[in-house]
Amino acid sequence: MLKRDESKFQKFLNGLKDNFSSFISKMRQIREKEKEEIALFILACSSILILFLITVFVFQAALPAFKEIGVLDFLFGKSWSPGYGRYGAAPLFFGSFMIVFGSVILAVAIGVFAAIFLVEYLPRGTADFIKPFIELLAGIPSIIWGFFGLVFVAPRVADFFDLPVGRTALTAAIVLSFMIVPTIVSISSEVIEAVPQQYRRASMALGATKWQTIRGVVLPTAKPGIVASIMLAFGRAIGETIAVLMIAGSVPLLPSPFYDYLDPVLPATATIATEMGETPAYSLHWHALFALGIMLFIITFVVNTAADIYVRRTKRGVIMV
Amino acid sequence: MNVKNIRQKAVPFLLAIPVVIVIFVFIAVFLFIVTNGAGAISWELMTTSVLEGGIYEAIVGTFLLLGGTILIATPIGLATAIYLVEYAPKGRANRIITQALNNLAGVPSIVFGLFGYAFFAIFLGFGVSLLTGWLTLTFMVLPIIVRGSQEALLMVPASFKEAALALGATKWETIRTVVLPTAAPGLATSSILGMSRVAGETAAILFTCSVFLTRGNPHTIFDPVILLTYQLFVELVTSPGATYDRAYAMAIVLLMIVVVLNMVGYIIRVLYRKRMKW
Repeated sequence: MLKRDESKFQKFLNGLKDNFSSFISKMRQIREKEKEEIALFILACSSILILFLITVFVFQAALPAFKEIGVLDFLFGKSWSPGYGRYGAAPLFFGSFMIVFGSVILAVAIGVFAAIFLVEYLPRGTADFIKPFIELLAGIPSIIWGFFGLVFVAPRVADFFDLPVGRTALTAAIVLSFMIVPTIVSISSEVIEAVPQQYRRASMALGATKWQTIRGVVLPTAKPGIVASIMLAFGRAIGETIAVLMIAGSVPLLPSPFYDYLDPVLPATATIATEMGETPAYSLHWHALFALGIMLFIITFVVNTAADIYVRRTKRGVIMV
Repeated sequence: MNVKNIRQKAVPFLLAIPVVIVIFVFIAVFLFIVTNGAGAISWELMTTSVLEGGIYEAIVGTFLLLGGTILIATPIGLATAIYLVEYAPKGRANRIITQALNNLAGVPSIVFGLFGYAFFAIFLGFGVSLLTGWLTLTFMVLPIIVRGSQEALLMVPASFKEAALALGATKWETIRTVVLPTAAPGLATSSILGMSRVAGETAAILFTCSVFLTRGNPHTIFDPVILLTYQLFVELVTSPGATYDRAYAMAIVLLMIVVVLNMVGYIIRVLYRKRMKW
C-alpha cells in the first residue's frame, strides 16, 4: 500500500518535473530566440546609426563655416585662397564636376559597349574568363591609379597636346574613367544578361538582325539597370580623392574658357585631402573643409537615392538590379 | 553584299574595341608597376625600418590595419546579413537597413576620413590611432561585407534549413549549425574582398590613423601607424621629381596584397560553386 503510494507519488513528481522542464525549455527557447533576434537587430541597425552620426558630426563641424562665410558665398564664391581668407567653393566643385563629367562620358562609351560585347557576342566561357579581370581592375587602389596617371598618362597627355605640364582635368578624367569602367561593365552586363532570351528570339524571328535586336529590344529593356550603373559610377567618381589629387594639377581656379579640359583644376575631394593636415583645428579653414565634406556627402546621397528610386520605379518584374 | 550585311559583320569588331581598350589598360597598369617595381623591391628593403629608408613598418602597419578592421567588421556585417536574410527578409526594417547600407556604400572615402577624425579621434578622444582607423574603415567596408554575406546566405537551399527545422532544431540552431557552415566559403570571400579594400585605402586614413614617421610598430591600439598607402602618398605628392624607386617598391607590394586577396576570394568562390551540387 505504502509502496504503491510512493510509486504513484514518484510518478506524479516525475510528471511534474517533465512538465516543468519542458515548460522551462520552451520558455528558454522563446527567450533565446528573442535574445538573438534582438542582438542581430541591434547590430544590423549600426549602419543606420553610423549614417546618422556621419551626418551629425560632419555637419556640426561644417556649421561655423556656413555661418561665417554664408551659404551662398561659400557655394558660388569664385575664389578659394584660404591664405587670404577667401573660401569660395565654386572652382572646386566645378573642377570636380568637370572631371566627373568627362570620365563618365568616357566610361559609358567604353563600359556599356564592352558589356554588350561580353554578353551578346562573346562565348560564355570567354566572357566568364574576362570578367574577373575587370573586377580586379575595380580593386586596384586609387593611389596606384594616381601613380600610373602621374608617371604614365600625364607625360603622354603633355606630349600629345604640347603642354608644359600633363596634369590637367583631361588627364584626371581619363584615369578616373578607367576606375569607374568596372562598375559600369559589371552591373550593365548583369542587367543585359537578365533580359529574357525569348525577347531576343521574338525579335530575330521578325527578321531583325542581331544588332537591331540589341538596339531595339535588349537595350531598352535593360535601360533602367544601365542608367543605375551610370549613376553609381557617377557617385563613385565624385568621391574619388587620391588619384585626382595627384593628376588634376591642383590649381583652385575656374578654367578659362570654362570648358577647357587642358587646364589644371583642384577638385573638392582633393582640397580636403591636401589642406586638412596643415590646418589648425577649429579654424575657419578647418570648418570650411568640413563644409566641402558635407556638400560631397549630400551630393552622393542624392545621386545614390535617385538611382535607387529610379530602379524601383522602372522595375517591371523583368529586370532586377 | 548589301549594306545590312556589311553592318552585321562590322558590329562585333567595333564592339570589341572597348573590351580591347579595357584589357590594354589592365595590362598597362600591371606592367607599369611590375616592371618598375621588380627592380626596386628586395627582401632587404622589406625588412629595413622606415627610419632607415626601408618599408618594414609600412607593411606590418598595413596588415595590422586590415586585420583589425576585418575582425570588427565581419561580425557586424555578418549579423546584419543574417538579420536581413533570415529574420527580416521583407518589410520596413529590411528596407530601411538596406537603404542605409546603399547610402553608406556611396559615401566618399574622404568623408569617412573627416567623420572618423571628428567623431572617433576628437569626440571620443581616441586620437590619431590604430583604433580610430579600425573603426572608421569598419563602416566603410561594412556594405561590401553585408552584400557578399547576403548573397552567400541566400545561396543556402531552403531544403537544408527545412531539414534542420524538421529535426527539431530552433531557428538559431539551424542558422548556427546548417546555414553558416554551408555559406562559410561565400562569407570568407566577402571578408577577403573587404580586406583588399582596406589595404588600398588612402583617403580615409589620412587624418585618422596614419603618420609618415614614428619609431617602430604601434605598441598599443592608441598609437598611430605607418601604412604603405600613406608612405606612397607622401612620397609621390610632396616630393615630386625625386626618384621613385622606393615608391615603386611600395606600389608593387601593395598591388600584390590586393591581387592575392582578390585571387583568393575568387578561387574560394569558384571552388565553392563547383562543389555545390544540390
